[in-house]
Amino acid sequence: MTSGAVRAPRAVSPAMRAAHRRENLAAYIFMAPSLLFFLGFVIFPMGMCLVTSFFNYTMTDFSWIGLANYVEMFQDAIFGKALVNTIVIVVVSVPVTCMFSLWVASLIYKMKDVHTSFFRCVFYLPVVTGSVAVTVVWKWIFNNYYGVLNYVCKNLGLITRNINWLGNPDYALGCIITILLTTSVGQPIVLYVSALSNVDHSLIEAASVDGATNMQVFWKIKWPQIMPTTLYILVITTINSFQCFALIQLLTSGGPNNSTQTIMYYIYYNAFKLSRYGYGSAMGIILAIIIALFSALQFKLAKTDNG
Amino acid sequence: MKKLVALLLCLMLVLPVFAFADDTVEITLWTYPIGSWGNAETVDGIIASFNAVHPEIKVTVQYLDYTSGDDQVTTAIEAKTTPDIIMEGPERLVANWGAAGKMLDISDLWDDAVKADIIAASPAVEAACKNGEGIYYEYPLCMTTHCMVINYNDFEAAGALQYIDEATHTWTTEGFLNALDALNAAGYVPTAVVYCGGQGGDQGTRALVTNLYSGQFTNADHTAYTADSEENIKALQLLQTLVNEGKLDADPGIVAGDEIALFCNSTISMGFCWNASAAVSNKASLAEDVKVFPMAFPSDDGIPELQGGIWGFGLFDNGDDARVAAAKTFVKFVCDDPAQAAASVYASGFFPTRASLGDIYAGTDKAENGEYAIFMPFLGDYYQVTPNWAAQRTEWWNLLQRIFAGGDVAAEAAVYAQNANK
Repeated sequence: MTSGAVRAPRAVSPAMRAAHRRENLAAYIFMAPSLLFFLGFVIFPMGMCLVTSFFNYTMTDFSWIGLANYVEMFQDAIFGKALVNTIVIVVVSVPVTCMFSLWVASLIYKMKDVHTSFFRCVFYLPVVTGSVAVTVVWKWIFNNYYGVLNYVCKNLGLITRNINWLGNPDYALGCIITILLTTSVGQPIVLYVSALSNVDHSLIEAASVDGATNMQVFWKIKWPQIMPTTLYILVITTINSFQCFALIQLLTSGGPNNSTQTIMYYIYYNAFKLSRYGYGSAMGIILAIIIALFSALQFKLAKTDNG
Repeated sequence: MKKLVALLLCLMLVLPVFAFADDTVEITLWTYPIGSWGNAETVDGIIASFNAVHPEIKVTVQYLDYTSGDDQVTTAIEAKTTPDIIMEGPERLVANWGAAGKMLDISDLWDDAVKADIIAASPAVEAACKNGEGIYYEYPLCMTTHCMVINYNDFEAAGALQYIDEATHTWTTEGFLNALDALNAAGYVPTAVVYCGGQGGDQGTRALVTNLYSGQFTNADHTAYTADSEENIKALQLLQTLVNEGKLDADPGIVAGDEIALFCNSTISMGFCWNASAAVSNKASLAEDVKVFPMAFPSDDGIPELQGGIWGFGLFDNGDDARVAAAKTFVKFVCDDPAQAAASVYASGFFPTRASLGDIYAGTDKAENGEYAIFMPFLGDYYQVTPNWAAQRTEWWNLLQRIFAGGDVAAEAAVYAQNANK
């Protein structure tokens, strides 16, 4: 058939149309519970958040103020600081998480099954452990007076006196990112191990026979095949990093001097501590837009021929 | 047959409704961990005593903590699922939720006899439980004065006991400075930590600053924060100097609970966040070489003005008169019943807000709590009802963090005052 040819529409009988309708109806009925859940707990709150952001909504007031919350936000120095800190967390933690996960997965996916499972468990443990427990342990590690990290560093001669890891603005954000990494790499490692195991081995063998180096095999054969997994990991890690909250709340409350302030924590602070629900909602909307832009950018950059 | 089965099934569904349709009124109580009022066993005992007298009222309890409790209450207020009764202090019941119009006016509970009894214990308590228009939002149960604590053994070994008045548990600013020198010279380093990591316990750091040179944290009519006053700036400068000289530590990485832990495990020789209840709850975690000796905060004239803590009950309006009446009955029973009131206060570990109850700790397992009554005459102004309190607390922590990071004290205090007084 030439490209200019147009296929005549095939006649659809009433019986087939009825069958299609029944199938569609059944599909919608099956989807209904999760769709209702999605509408009720995702779409509706998002809409409410957008509406609320145009109001001076506090415990005692609910009055229309248009874009005033947004204007205030962009004049708020702490919001600016929180935005910068959040972007630093994302820019550092997302690539490091992906690269580290890929490196670990590359090492362990070829091992015997029992060894691979062992390492998967080890790296996945912080993910399934409660964030409160994880932060308590890290708080001990970073403790200024009897923390393990200071003890080890001093004994190795790396430092001469204790460093106040979480109390010093120069180190606090780095510590938060470090903890975030330990809780973020578990899932990507599991996903990468699975993706690497599914790479077509006949292609790898053929390339090796043709004299391809390990690096060439990785970049030319494995990397394109694990690209969908990489994209998923990038998007999920980006969203998780943008929404970093529990660590901040439990470890630093945004301090010292706002050096670990993030947008999520600042939203929480305004909404729940100061009862400024409208202002918090406005920040939530901006955060959602930023996350959407970052995710769209990642989709664009990581787009493959078949993606 | 089918009809009969259907009828039976319907009856089974409807019967439970009738079963509950008696005269029982169900009310809910939310309580913060005020001494053993955060302990289910203790509170269940109090409710059992109440139900022995009032079986027609069923009380369900939810326990809050100071990390997420306020969030839960805020959420409940917006979702209109507030409890009938909540136990906390005037800074929340009066200055926050009361000022926002979320609490019930409970002036009817304050009859003349109760008012006289409470004023006899402390006029500041009565004043703190009502707003500027005289509407009462809190019915008080217990009170205390927050103090600091020293490790008597460290002070003795460092020869620093000479700088404290052991009889009155007070000392002067000069004595405090001398004690720091003595502790440092004897190698008790770090001596103490000015914690500034946020999340509660700010009464300790506020009292430390305001007492050093007899400053005030707010103005007299509780309308503005005055941490930028000459006296307070002088005190903050002194603390900054002490930290810079290594005689004192400041740490934005720890909160009050961490500081208490450092004192209990003998890492530091002084703690700035202490009271009678803390003495009981931390008893089991004290290191062998720690001998607790509560102290008032050091002041230039040797007469401290201590930060008070007042706890009691407030009522949310859930639009049901029967529940409101039941809630008031419960509150009156817990606070005023001759057979129960003392036990209710005893559970808190603090002191009665009724003079008529006298010394409730004499001859009990908590007899040492009675020793903390020595601080009650130093109870200062209850300024926590000043507007913008929640935002002020964050500004206070930020002020301390900026100062101990090397900021100019006067300039940073001015920033604090500007933000806190918005």
